[in-house]
Amino acid sequence: MSKQAPSSPNAASDAAEAEEDATAESETQRPVTTGSESVIRALENEGVEAAFGVQGGAIMPIYDALYHSDIRHVTMAHEQGAAHAADAFSVVRNEPGVCLATSGPGATNLVTGIADANMDSDGLLALTGQVPVDMVGSDAFQETDTTGVTAPITKHNYFASDADTVGDTVGEALALAGEGRPGPTLVDLPKDVSLDDTDVDPGPAEPPETTRPQYVADEEDVAEAAAAIEAAERPLLLFGGGVIKADATDEARAFAHEYDIPVVTTMPGIGSFPEDDDLCLSWAGMHGTGYANMAITHTDLLIAVGTRFDDRLTGGVDTFAPEAEVVHIDIDPAEISKNVHADYPLVGDAGIVIGQVDDAMDAAPDADEWREQCRTWKDEYPMDYATPDDEPLKPQFVVEILDEATDDDTIVTSGVGQHQMWAAQYWEFTEPRTWVSSHGLGTMGYGLPAAIGARIAADDEQDVVCVDGDGSFLMTIQELSVAVREELDITVAVLNNEYIGMVRQWQDAFFEGRRMAAEYNWCPEFDKLAEAFGARGWRVDDYDEVADAVEEAVDYDGPSVIDFHIDPAENVYPMVPSGGANGKFALTEDQL
Amino acid sequence: MSSEDSTDDLPKHGLKGPSPEERPHPEGRRNSEGIRIDPEAEAEHEPRRAVLSALVENDPGVLSRVAGLFSRRQFNIESLTVGPTTVENHSRITMVIEEPDPGIDQAKKQLAKLKPVISVGELDDDAVRTELVLLKVEGDEPDKVHAVTEMYDGQTLDAGPKTITVQLTGDEQKIDDAIDAFRQFGIIEIARTGYTALARGNQPTVPGEKPGTADEPTKPTNTQ
Repeated sequence: MSKQAPSSPNAASDAAEAEEDATAESETQRPVTTGSESVIRALENEGVEAAFGVQGGAIMPIYDALYHSDIRHVTMAHEQGAAHAADAFSVVRNEPGVCLATSGPGATNLVTGIADANMDSDGLLALTGQVPVDMVGSDAFQETDTTGVTAPITKHNYFASDADTVGDTVGEALALAGEGRPGPTLVDLPKDVSLDDTDVDPGPAEPPETTRPQYVADEEDVAEAAAAIEAAERPLLLFGGGVIKADATDEARAFAHEYDIPVVTTMPGIGSFPEDDDLCLSWAGMHGTGYANMAITHTDLLIAVGTRFDDRLTGGVDTFAPEAEVVHIDIDPAEISKNVHADYPLVGDAGIVIGQVDDAMDAAPDADEWREQCRTWKDEYPMDYATPDDEPLKPQFVVEILDEATDDDTIVTSGVGQHQMWAAQYWEFTEPRTWVSSHGLGTMGYGLPAAIGARIAADDEQDVVCVDGDGSFLMTIQELSVAVREELDITVAVLNNEYIGMVRQWQDAFFEGRRMAAEYNWCPEFDKLAEAFGARGWRVDDYDEVADAVEEAVDYDGPSVIDFHIDPAENVYPMVPSGGANGKFALTEDQL
Repeated sequence: MSSEDSTDDLPKHGLKGPSPEERPHPEGRRNSEGIRIDPEAEAEHEPRRAVLSALVENDPGVLSRVAGLFSRRQFNIESLTVGPTTVENHSRITMVIEEPDPGIDQAKKQLAKLKPVISVGELDDDAVRTELVLLKVEGDEPDKVHAVTEMYDGQTLDAGPKTITVQLTGDEQKIDDAIDAFRQFGIIEIARTGYTALARGNQPTVPGEKPGTADEPTKPTNTQ
């Protein structure tokens, strides 16, 4: 949620530096001669360092222009991987990621990744090739109505029709992706527009005039909200992903500490507040901690920042924070009172509005008893699991060992399912932009391409770990070839139960154990598969092998895969059944 | 957090702690719109009809973006009209939706988020609103058709040996009444536009709207 067009204050990547020696032209920019060069210049002007994509007929002119650029291009195995990698890049860098694909199947393969970015408000610019303008509508080879297909899942998309303006269009789309509430944008680039002559150097990227967000909340509304916070007896802060996207973790943390208010986060908000902090109750919702869900259920004033009250957070809306007035801070006015009514709506940038509320506060709420209550819940509902000798390896244990073996700034990506929940529950996150996952769309297969994008975006010293499931890993496993080719230091920890585990858990709980299409009879040997790709692979079955394998894999300077064969019977708890009351979370299956 | 020496009191699968029945549960509730309610007197908002006006840029596909938004968010839309204004590249879309107040509010805010949308307004009950209908009826009784057309201040656009086509304008009730009156002649075809509307008097139809004759086009209202 940069307040202006994104820029890249960081030094150029190693690859870019290496390129610079070879390419003398990079000092004095080559003049723009074609539409595609104008497109790439627009990206360069905005400091884009990396792009993820797959070649193809209609996008070839754009790639040809990339040939002379310092932008690091990562060729992915599949366009879905390109979109996820760019998405993860944007999460880690807090600036829009860029992905490229050709027309037709290239563009449709991006769709899952674009929809994912849209649901999680991740800044993403997709550039797609298109058939030449005069062939559009003729059902030409590899033609798809890409703007039509992606209109519902983008902030806005553009069909470029003129080489003279295409650079500015791309700049506008990039700026829009990162502005206010971030999200995906797309520019469809007909081949003739890319090939056409132009000498137009795009100007500074400006988001469209019609989409400018409101950054500062109305002062009267702020005063009312501040008074409500002062008067609250059971105040609770709820930090969503918007806190991280607004770069407001410092303000959010300071506010919680200054007024001594307990904090829960949403899943995308993981990392906005340190989970080892005394005030932190971790994340709430379907598989959130018991104490977070107890606090949400019993608060009398919920101060929600940068969250859209997703149903996986609220459970049944009728029983969501049923006794609480709601202060809702969000930069998107459409999120105010969309799912949960806001008694104190504050539209604006999270960091700025938290500052406004802070300025308007005269005293901290008197909430000693409430804080004590929250502490009691922490003791009553510990995230403590059994590790019996007569059962296979528990996945929670694997996650904890991975967490212990790596630094606090380690970036964790995940697929979707049981493994994702265990990772989110048992990894103790303390820093923003270290938890990179697919929340709103729930895209299995997100983890590995996300690890690639995160690796490119991260500092060299940061570790990148993908906690994956066997089902999720199989969906995008081809991206391992990219990690090998690009020599990326990532560690994939597969929590392998040979199930589509979350579906199996639901089948056991709600479909009388009929495990239709969730049970694999056979799963590839991921350690050997990793070696076949050219990565390192380990297989782990027992507790005493976990630490060594983790150490070796994390130390290995390249892509590594550990295939952890975990207890296939293990389920994710706590669990609030879909549409249920957060306060009635089940701790065991018989409570569902 | 794995406490291998104290695993005795932990369930083999799952977590320990008071069961749902053992926990306190607050009695408060929210309604389906997420509004806190008094359990004694539960009240839902009733749907009402709202006329929305949106000033939009004439981007390609703007109409499909608006229509797609209403469809995918399940806003109950009754009619939608669109046409250019006197400002180059600006069009006005007029929509009638039937929703409870929170739905109307949400529709306005979602519309305003669309990039081509410059400004969105909801028209008051006293707004000037009208609908146009074309009616093609059997041409057997031209005099009677003419009389009914005059009664509803309509115009005859086409009269042939077999059919007569008339145009009527007015509010929904008047159009409905007129259609009923024309049934006696045998209605062959009908085309209705749905409402188009402007705010009454000096007030702008959408916030910040400037007259089309002004030098400056209307600026987006959400610009800070």
